[in-house]
Amino acid sequence: MNIHSYEKVWLIAAMLLIVGFIATITYGSVALGITMVDDSEETIDPNALEEHERFGDLGVHQTDSDEYDVHVRAYQFNFEPGSSALGTHDPIVIPQGSEVTFYVTSPDVIHSFSLVGTNVNTMVVPGEISTMTAEFDEAREYGVVCNEYCGSGHHGMEGLVKVVPEDEFHLFSVADVDAPESIEAGEETELTATIDNDALQTEAATVTLEIGDEQFDTDVEVDAEASAEATFTVDTSDLDLEDADDLDWTVTVEADSPATLEDGSTSGTIDLETDEDDEEADDEDDEADDEDDDPNDDDESTGDDE
Amino acid sequence: MSAYIDQFPAEAKVIRSAFYTSFIALALGAAFGLIQTLHRTDIVRVIPSEMYYTVLTAHGVLLVVTFTIFFLVAIFTWAVTTSLDRGVEDIRFTWSWYVLMSLGTLFAAVAILAGFTDRTEMSADVLFTFYAPLQAHPIFYIGLVLFVIGTWLAGADWFRSWWAWKQENPDERIPLPTFMVLTTMIMWYLATLGVATSIIVFLIPWSLGLIDTVNPTLTRTLFWFWGHPVVYFWLMPAYMMWYVMLPKFSGGRLFSDPLARVVFVLFLLLSTPVGIHHQYLDPGIAEGFKFIAMTNTMFLLLPSLLTAFTVVASMEHGARQRGGEGYFGWLGALPWRDPVFAGMALAGLMFAAGGFSGMINAGMNINYLVHNSLWVPGHFHLTVGTAVALTFMAVSYHFIPQVTGRRLASKQIALFQVVLWFIGMTFMSNAMHRGGLLGMPRRTAEPEYDFPFETAIGTVGELNAQIALGGVLLTLSTVLFVANMLITALNDPADDLPSNTIPEPLSGSEDAPLVLDNLKLWTAIAVVLVIFAYSLPLGSIVERGGLFGPGGDAFPMFIEFVEGTVFGLTGDSVSSLVNSPLEWLRAMR
Ligand code: HEM
Ligand SMILES: [Cu+2]
Ligand SMILES: [Cu+2]
Repeated sequence: MNIHSYEKVWLIAAMLLIVGFIATITYGSVALGITMVDDSEETIDPNALEEHERFGDLGVHQTDSDEYDVHVRAYQFNFEPGSSALGTHDPIVIPQGSEVTFYVTSPDVIHSFSLVGTNVNTMVVPGEISTMTAEFDEAREYGVVCNEYCGSGHHGMEGLVKVVPEDEFHLFSVADVDAPESIEAGEETELTATIDNDALQTEAATVTLEIGDEQFDTDVEVDAEASAEATFTVDTSDLDLEDADDLDWTVTVEADSPATLEDGSTSGTIDLETDEDDEEADDEDDEADDEDDDPNDDDESTGDDE
Repeated sequence: MSAYIDQFPAEAKVIRSAFYTSFIALALGAAFGLIQTLHRTDIVRVIPSEMYYTVLTAHGVLLVVTFTIFFLVAIFTWAVTTSLDRGVEDIRFTWSWYVLMSLGTLFAAVAILAGFTDRTEMSADVLFTFYAPLQAHPIFYIGLVLFVIGTWLAGADWFRSWWAWKQENPDERIPLPTFMVLTTMIMWYLATLGVATSIIVFLIPWSLGLIDTVNPTLTRTLFWFWGHPVVYFWLMPAYMMWYVMLPKFSGGRLFSDPLARVVFVLFLLLSTPVGIHHQYLDPGIAEGFKFIAMTNTMFLLLPSLLTAFTVVASMEHGARQRGGEGYFGWLGALPWRDPVFAGMALAGLMFAAGGFSGMINAGMNINYLVHNSLWVPGHFHLTVGTAVALTFMAVSYHFIPQVTGRRLASKQIALFQVVLWFIGMTFMSNAMHRGGLLGMPRRTAEPEYDFPFETAIGTVGELNAQIALGGVLLTLSTVLFVANMLITALNDPADDLPSNTIPEPLSGSEDAPLVLDNLKLWTAIAVVLVIFAYSLPLGSIVERGGLFGPGGDAFPMFIEFVEGTVFGLTGDSVSSLVNSPLEWLRAMR
């Protein structure tokens, strides 16, 4: 078989090109440490994500001083957390300068979890857990899209990652607020908020109570992975109650921080008794206002005003 | 000498039918393409966004399955009959595979198009990749299987011709065009095992409700087992045209027969063990397997690079025969006013560009940046959407007169059409590539999100305008092509058609080592390579998720019509049947 000499040159050049490509990619993997999404995680039952240690506990978790795990459920057609545009879920909030590992899975069909314009881009396959680690050095927002067709609502599947300055980041949540169910107007009362700190270090939390038209702030130190209580004593005679027959309150931890999400605040209502009211209502007022998502459904039941 | 229709009137009729089927698919596909371009750029939205995916499924299936493969069977039948200089062995058999392929297409098309109406619950909005657990109506899958079986029979037809010819010519080399057909078909048999297994063993029983779950990673991997080689199945007829016809149209002869054979053997060997490069970003597959797929993929560049050389060298030879001179001056001597030549040359040029973006795609870790972004459709509209499609359209201006015996309606419009395609694709594809680098996703009705895509140069609006403009030009070009073909088919008979010949290469088959024609050897090596590349990944996928997956539900894109288990064939029992030998093998280790 005779090969033209130009063709030989071309052949050798082509082989060099190919070997060059392989070497470049190998360099990227080995020297730069760009690893591929792989089979390092166990499989998972797509119908029982809640029972999984990670996906039973979605959201941001600290694992070391600057390291975080984020557990995300990608389902038709949202990211939880992430899909915040329509208020469906919280955005994903992480601190600047951190190394973040995303764990993503799907209970239904194949999706993707892709931070637009970055290398964080992975398929999300039901039964498998995708993991990706990335460093976030810049305080900015990233859009998240699903770029794998997942059904008729696919184009609406988007989310948000917010990288916030470290001092605005926290892992506080309001675990519980102990508030009276009803009080007599003009009386002094006490609300006690239990603040959880999921961070791995002790941090100071500013807790804010809004009640009536007043606002009270108090600072508490919360140990790492522990809780602390913040107590507010409110003299309702200082409040401008007019003729209101109930009093709305909201407790928020780190109200000004972009990291304060849905679980960072709790609301409730205290019934105001006028003088003629029956005394017996007082006995039940210890009933804590649970961290229920819907602030309205707690206090409706007390229909004993007349 | 005479035209093809004079030599093989019966075969010409089948070939004609296959061409027409492929043109219908092209026309429909282009109409859907236009809807997509205008919809995703938010210029005109004639359908609700939920319906976008019905359109996209139809666009994908009609163009990359129906258009390309019907064209392929037409060309391959021409190539085998012409180069062996004998008709098919049994024309009824030939018609039977044509009918089977058409029936399959019809089934799949009905399932897909039913997605447009509420009258029926049937639909198949699963895109051409039909990744489970998205589920289509069973007749979608059944249609695909019938189609594939049709192509298997077509291959059998060509092999049969070759065997019959060999009996009569025991000492001759396989003529080059037939050699190309046979190697391509061996690759196809090997490759379709993946998708056929996925559909027949898993997806059809699952869509019928006979099994509850499938393993999404397994069916996806079996899809890509076929999904990469199918790329070469589209490309090989175009390559064949570049090797055997382009030299003729440029006035010369093929540079080297032996190298052409080497190239096709390399494609046979390397096309299949690479499919995992479509799954670089899949969880559940070890990095090592991805790396092996990448290495194979990179070597797969070799036959394409060799083709680039041979094609350019053959064109140069042709140009010099026509009096061309100088380093680059010979380019001017090429028959640029001939739509057949011009279309093929432009297609080749775009393929070079597509090759570059393909090299990026192949890079395992670079894939993070471009995977599933608009870059990818940008890439394959250059390759299958132009290198293949434009070559096919260009050679149609030669072949349709050959198989109908009629005069081409308009050579001027034909020339304008191929140039228009080139220009339209330059706009559309370039803007798609750029959009992809900004992170714009593919396969979405509404790429606009709450956050802006950051552009380095230009704006998203400008990119969208280019995509839409390109799409409109391409659609216009398709309309001109189809109209030209339609009028040609109805035109007056021509009595001065060029004769149906393939010029002898400069360096002929006598220079090719005999071993190149040893198809059994190449088949064996191809099988071994596939076993190397796939047995461990497939074994590990089944071991991880089970044959029928780690649970989950089906997400029918239609309402179920068969309930419950009919044959008592449940996932578990079959799974354990297969798992026990696996366990045993592992214990042996
Ligand atoms: C009139 C000419 C064409 C136009 C305007 C057009 C337009 C488009 C557009 C805009 C997309 C992207 C849709 C998306 O990802 O959201 C697309 C996808 C696609 N096109 Fe085309 N195209 C044309 C011709 C072709 C041809 C000739 C082929 C192949 C032979 C082709 C094959 C495909 C395939 C396979 C997809 C991907 C489908 C999927 O993602 O499931 N197109 N086309
Ligand atoms: Cu999606
Ligand atoms: Cu591929």
